[in-house]
Amino acid sequence: MDEEAPGSMRRTSSRTRKVASKMAAALASSDNRMQAELARLEALENDNAGIEAVEVNDDDDASLDDEDELAFYEITVDVVIKGDNCVAIADFHNSIAVHLKRQMKNSKRKTRQAKALEARKAPRTFMELLQEANLEALPPHVPSYLRAAVGPPSSTSRRYFCTVCGFTANYTCVRCGVRFCSIHCQVVHNDTRCLKFVA
Amino acid sequence: MSYVVVLDNGGGYIKAGIGGDRDPSVVVPNCIGRPSASSKKWLIADQLQSLEDPTSVALRRPFDRGYLTNPDLQKDIWDRLLRSLHSPTSSSSSSLLLVEPLFNLPSAQRTVDELVFEDFGFRSLFVADSPSLVHLYEASRRPEGLVSRARCSLVVDCGFSFSHAAPVLQNFTVNYGVKRLDLGGKALTNYLKELVSYRSVNVMDETLIMDDVKEKLCFVSLDVPRDLQIAWKQGKNNKFKCTYVLPDGVTHTKGFVKDWDEAKRYLNSADQRSYESGHLDAAEQLEDRKRNRIDLTKNEFNLSNERFLVPEMLFRPADLGMNQAGLAECIVRAVNSCHPNIHPVLYESIILTGGSTLFPQFAERLYNDLRPLVPDHYQVKITKQEDPTLGVWRGGSLLASSPDFESMCVTKAEYEEFGSARCRRRFFH
Repeated sequence: MDEEAPGSMRRTSSRTRKVASKMAAALASSDNRMQAELARLEALENDNAGIEAVEVNDDDDASLDDEDELAFYEITVDVVIKGDNCVAIADFHNSIAVHLKRQMKNSKRKTRQAKALEARKAPRTFMELLQEANLEALPPHVPSYLRAAVGPPSSTSRRYFCTVCGFTANYTCVRCGVRFCSIHCQVVHNDTRCLKFVA
Repeated sequence: MSYVVVLDNGGGYIKAGIGGDRDPSVVVPNCIGRPSASSKKWLIADQLQSLEDPTSVALRRPFDRGYLTNPDLQKDIWDRLLRSLHSPTSSSSSSLLLVEPLFNLPSAQRTVDELVFEDFGFRSLFVADSPSLVHLYEASRRPEGLVSRARCSLVVDCGFSFSHAAPVLQNFTVNYGVKRLDLGGKALTNYLKELVSYRSVNVMDETLIMDDVKEKLCFVSLDVPRDLQIAWKQGKNNKFKCTYVLPDGVTHTKGFVKDWDEAKRYLNSADQRSYESGHLDAAEQLEDRKRNRIDLTKNEFNLSNERFLVPEMLFRPADLGMNQAGLAECIVRAVNSCHPNIHPVLYESIILTGGSTLFPQFAERLYNDLRPLVPDHYQVKITKQEDPTLGVWRGGSLLASSPDFESMCVTKAEYEEFGSARCRRRFFH
């Protein structure tokens, strides 16, 4: 839950209005709470591998590309020297393969094509792809990802569960808006968890 | 002899095999994982399944919210998968039946086409969507049943990334009737992770273990207020309380449920008379306390109301703060967008598929929720697929073994001639 903290911090308002400090905090807080709520929903779709992981994979990809290239070289070598002495070929072939491999490992060379491919296939988030697809521009009768979403519920309202123990929660924390069910849970909440989602 | 490779490329698991078989030969997670932050090696798909120690595995998936976003990763996974799959032939002499998510984005379609034809060099490609395949499979299983006679059904697919309610008519998914709920197995696992981390042990990095917990211990409640009351009770009267032991890496490397009898007690909770809420004798009480006490030297945690509040979110997403209707209303809206003449048939042939429908009592609860929303004179009948995770693949296998399958495909030559967008028009979605 730590990663959502910076997102909600940014939203503290910079307006200068003559209000009591506590009042101002309360005004800002409803917005913060909304932000925290959205960030929490977003977090439900996250994987647990962070950004640092992407770098590692880039390395993997590069090495895979190299191997592909190597296979290509191997084939061409085969074709060129077909019909000569078999043993010599095998030796020669091996030495070339090793040589090429070493060369590639050293220089991390990438062809122009490989670079183009990489740009084309760079991982992007779903939201970027969705924006790019520009589905809002479609005429209203065309079914699309956006229109397939089921709308808001018609008959049922939200139920609240205590964040400490999970039972029906009748009370709201005045500072952070999180729900709890009893004095006991309030104490636990105030001691350890208050403002965890919001601040 | 040419092969058809059937590939149900889900966000959670890839199901792959040769068309015509009954079961897929490979079912692997569609992700790569790194066992711990110290090691640099990423394990691909099936290597993850044979992993001995599942603690703190970092996962990366090619899918985000149900759609392909990282083609490079997908290519690596497919590469490994296809190599293990069809040794007799190479991909250049076989066709591919690929299951894509509904409403796939044009850019994702393009990258998939490139992967299939340019990187793997398949001879031809057919793209299907899951509801129509499920319908096909169910109709062929019961030729006399309503699904095959009326030639329409309502497929409810609760998958890994989202849940769809999709009407199927004459083997085609009615795309304007499809309704989507943005909740699936992945969000539920993450929600369970959040609850457990917030309440007892920090398990935010333990996706694989919490998946296991979810699959083994979660169930759908038939009456939430009543079950909350029961979960509130102490000691033996609390029939939902059970303990899960986390792996410690020394004596056991897999997490496990501490006491299966304890975990199964919820099943007879409807039968109130069978248990007595009266007194327990002293010895029993002591023993009970001993068992229920959390042993801090071992890494374990208790679950009680979390067990049913997690799957509950599929039925009431509003509780989570989402502005979306629950699964039952999803179905009603999907049906209402079709012609009124087929409403009764659709309500009578609801098919459940997808891994998230495996929660115990799922179908019963859905019926309870759905019945009040459906007009009285319509019947509601919900059929569970026997293997909800494999149903789509089996439908694909059937389709691939039909005689005119080849004529429905887009061949490599056509792709090279016309490009991706033109070829895609052949598949009506």
